[in-house]
Amino acid sequence: MSKSAIYLLMSLFAVSIFLTSCEDAIGIKTETGPAELVVDGWITNKSGPQTIRLSLSAAYFDNSPAKPAPGAEVTITDDQGAVYTFTDEKGKGVYKWTPKSDTVALGRIGGKYFLQIKYSGEEYTATNEIKRVPKIDSMAYKEESFPIKPADGPKDGYLAQFYARDFVGLGDTYWIKALKGGRPYGTDPGDISLAFDASFNPGSPSDGLVFIQPLRQSININKLLSAGDTIGVELYSITLESYYFLFQVRQETTNGGIFAVPPANIPTNISNKNPGGKKALGFFGASAVSRAETVIDPKKAKPKS
Amino acid sequence: MKNRIRIAGLGFMLLLGTLNAQAQEKYTVSGYVKDIANGEGLIGVSVYIREASTGVVTNPYGFYSITLPQGEYSLVFSYIGYQKLTERLTLNADQRLNVEMSTESKQLEEVVISTKKEDENVRSLEMSVNKIDIKTIRQIPALLGEVDVIRSIQLLPGVTTVGEGASGFNVRGGDVSQNLILLDEAPVYNSSHLFGFFSVFNPDAVKDVKLIKGGIPAQYGGRISSILDVRMKEGNTKKREVNGGIGTIFSRLTYEQPFAAGRGSFIVAARRSYIDVLAKPFLKGDLKQTRFNFYDLTAKVNYRINDKNTVYASGYFGRDVFGASVFGFGWGNGTATARWNHIFSNKLFLNLTTYYSNYDYAINSDPNNKTPKDRFEWNSKIISSSVKPDFTYYLTPNNQISFGGQYINYDSRPGNAVAVSSGESRNISLDSRFGDESALYIANEQKISDRLSLQYGLRYSFYRNLGPGQIYQYQEFQEGQRKFPELPGTAVPKGNVIKQYGNWEPRFSMNIGLSPTTSIKVSYNRTAQYLHLLSNTAATSPLDVWTLSTNIIKPEIADQVALGWFQNFRDNTYEASVEVYYKDLKNQIDYVRNSDLLLNRYVEGDLLFGKGRAYGAEFFLRKNKGRLTGWLSYTLARTERLIDGVNNDDWFPARFDKPHNFTAVGIYNLKERLTLSSTFTFASGTPATFPTNRFEYNGWALPHNVYNARNNNRIPSYNRLDLALTLKSKKKLFGIGQGEWVFSVYNAYNRRNPYSVYVQQNADNPLTTEAIRFSVIGSVIPAVTYNFKF
Repeated sequence: MSKSAIYLLMSLFAVSIFLTSCEDAIGIKTETGPAELVVDGWITNKSGPQTIRLSLSAAYFDNSPAKPAPGAEVTITDDQGAVYTFTDEKGKGVYKWTPKSDTVALGRIGGKYFLQIKYSGEEYTATNEIKRVPKIDSMAYKEESFPIKPADGPKDGYLAQFYARDFVGLGDTYWIKALKGGRPYGTDPGDISLAFDASFNPGSPSDGLVFIQPLRQSININKLLSAGDTIGVELYSITLESYYFLFQVRQETTNGGIFAVPPANIPTNISNKNPGGKKALGFFGASAVSRAETVIDPKKAKPKS
Repeated sequence: MKNRIRIAGLGFMLLLGTLNAQAQEKYTVSGYVKDIANGEGLIGVSVYIREASTGVVTNPYGFYSITLPQGEYSLVFSYIGYQKLTERLTLNADQRLNVEMSTESKQLEEVVISTKKEDENVRSLEMSVNKIDIKTIRQIPALLGEVDVIRSIQLLPGVTTVGEGASGFNVRGGDVSQNLILLDEAPVYNSSHLFGFFSVFNPDAVKDVKLIKGGIPAQYGGRISSILDVRMKEGNTKKREVNGGIGTIFSRLTYEQPFAAGRGSFIVAARRSYIDVLAKPFLKGDLKQTRFNFYDLTAKVNYRINDKNTVYASGYFGRDVFGASVFGFGWGNGTATARWNHIFSNKLFLNLTTYYSNYDYAINSDPNNKTPKDRFEWNSKIISSSVKPDFTYYLTPNNQISFGGQYINYDSRPGNAVAVSSGESRNISLDSRFGDESALYIANEQKISDRLSLQYGLRYSFYRNLGPGQIYQYQEFQEGQRKFPELPGTAVPKGNVIKQYGNWEPRFSMNIGLSPTTSIKVSYNRTAQYLHLLSNTAATSPLDVWTLSTNIIKPEIADQVALGWFQNFRDNTYEASVEVYYKDLKNQIDYVRNSDLLLNRYVEGDLLFGKGRAYGAEFFLRKNKGRLTGWLSYTLARTERLIDGVNNDDWFPARFDKPHNFTAVGIYNLKERLTLSSTFTFASGTPATFPTNRFEYNGWALPHNVYNARNNNRIPSYNRLDLALTLKSKKKLFGIGQGEWVFSVYNAYNRRNPYSVYVQQNADNPLTTEAIRFSVIGSVIPAVTYNFKF
């Protein structure tokens, strides 16, 4: 049980049973700061093209789409000296590297990657590396029913989980992404599922274990599945820095209620070569990925315990 | 040089005064003051000797002692809400005088004011002290009709809360963990049931509540902001008594009985929430296993062995239990106190206290043992045990010396946890931590003249963090960010001192009488705190861990000065005060941005340290007599922190900073059987951190504050009106008892007061950002309670 899940449960118990807590959207006035370059890029060892998106930050309540940042020079150099050039062909701030063949991948387990961006007179850099990732051993599912019919999703259905084992050695970190019908599932920042070794956080040593049950079941996104659904998982190996970036993204986007913590800025690994120059936001990530999928077949489901 | 001569002269005069007094034959009169109705000792009764124009006040056990030259005297015992009692006395030998006082008859014509003065507010040395008697607390409109000690003290000047449902209270800009909450002298680590909605004190078992915000006397120590001293009833020594009530949340029952012909008595009080009992028939399937309740049990027994020895034993046990078929979570406090009051001589009084206090919580992912291959168990505990002798020596009517000490042993188990995944288990427990705290103090309350009295004292506290334990040094890479331990650390063997700290804590108060109804008071105190509640959430949570000072975590220290003006009007019908204070806080704790405070071996690396300052002015007007009683309170205050690595190393307001705070409490005795009461609260909104910008990443709109500021905005202000009506039933319950109905309305004009305002992306569209107002209570809450007594 992660800490935030416990807080959530506590808040639910605390207020929903007796009292009449409520949430509503209100208008507030906030200051706006200058726009900054935003780097949105995450390379993997999957074969095929890789994309890095550049845009500009805006006032917090400005709900129009982010302004793209075209006209930048974007390259990645790896630890073996190979240079990958990303180009923005449509001028929309979407910079793409396309391999000669679709079977070629940019990323390699153990590889270190150096990102360089020249934009509007400033030069930004970031580094990351691709760490090892365990294979997914199996996927399983069992019959399950919720005590009450949830607002979305079925009352009776299936609860899926994947089995994989953390490597022996402290400090492997992972991003667990769910797939449904072959596509990303549960893409809200609040659904980000992170593992430190086989458990939630560095404080609970779980080195070398099979991922603990709440992580194995985190691919269900709080809903039950139905017969015939294709459910899957992608396990991304990430660096500790990436872990804390995603951790903070999740925290800052779900940080309300009685047990809210003081809001803080989401860290970035993008830095300006000139320390006095303009700052940038976002993150340059790198991962190796393992993947598994299965179709829910009622005959193969483990009966309800 | 001139000054030195003056000081020497003053000292000589004082000495002379003492010698002069000793030249005469002197005797001591002492004894206990009790309530005639139930035999409870009365705390703070003024004992005034008319002929000598001097007086004393009874101690927490109802004991007083005064030494006078041989002669004839009138002792006047007075206490608010009680009939004045005058005893004639021929003093020609040491004498014991125990008296019993009766409450004022409840006639409504009693608007006519008695001629004598209940002017303790002006005359006593205490400042920055608020007492609310339990009768008043009972009449204040309460949330869901549940009379509550802690919610009531939040209506006093200088006391605030971060929001509805938040546990504990903030005093003069201190955080929740800086209050020493004592229940019969044993510290209570978590004062709340159901997070902060209800406090752990059963009002039926509480006798007296005193909040000390400043001028903290030398006998108290261990927390830097305030002392909340809650004393339990001793139990009726005259007759059997049963109290109880049926409320919206709790059912309560209290039983009191004398034994050994009134030499002893006991009280047992129990409360339990019963929503789960009522809900059970409506739950199906897995929900049948839902457990959701909180309860507490309070018991106390006292026995007067002889005129010189009285013993008391008291205990508290409370628990909150949440659970479902797949999840169990419980927490609670337990305390046990044993006390011995001994009168060595008529002048020397001893109270010896020993206590045991424990707070723990436990979480189990699999309470029904359904999935033994995948489960998680976790518990945390802090145990303290202490012995504490307190002596009072009634030297002369003008000098009352108190001295004593305390030894506390701490045993902290920050987290014991086992995780089982696919049948393999890992013990992820943290090491236990040990420490002890000792203190010695001496203080004197001295009356220099009719116009000037002083209280001065010194406390020395000494803390040791003891082995066994693994200790670490931490390396900082960037200010304000997580620090990493230098592994493998150092193992300190059992009994060895890891780190020790000692602090001199001077305490001083002065009362300058300007007129019989006006005085100015000044106080200074230094306090030190060796135990810290690590909590980074807006409201503290039951999971937060009390952590001992270590080689890295230094003791928190506060210095406070306060200056006050006290005046009573219209024969003490009204008492008014204005106080200003300034408080300097050292070694305050804050947290890195992704701090992990639970089950983290290297939690010290996630802490940031800095300092704080708090200052303010408190205006208080209270009406004590007549049909309408109550008070108005306004506080203008700031509390700020300066933490390395936070808010660009600049001062920022603390999370619970509320510059304006106004409360009005009115209790109106409409008819003999009917009382109306009302409270109104207005407070500034608490600080909040809002982003300046948003940026898109991976299809998410994420917040960013370009200026890296903390608490740079404020949420809308808070205001609320509560009403209550108490109707005593006409018919006697079972022919002897009494029943009453309490109807209450909380948040009468249905305001959605924000607890917090936060920003987020819209649930349906993660690229749309909005501000959300979160109200813990978003509607009117009516309630009915029935109380009985027989």
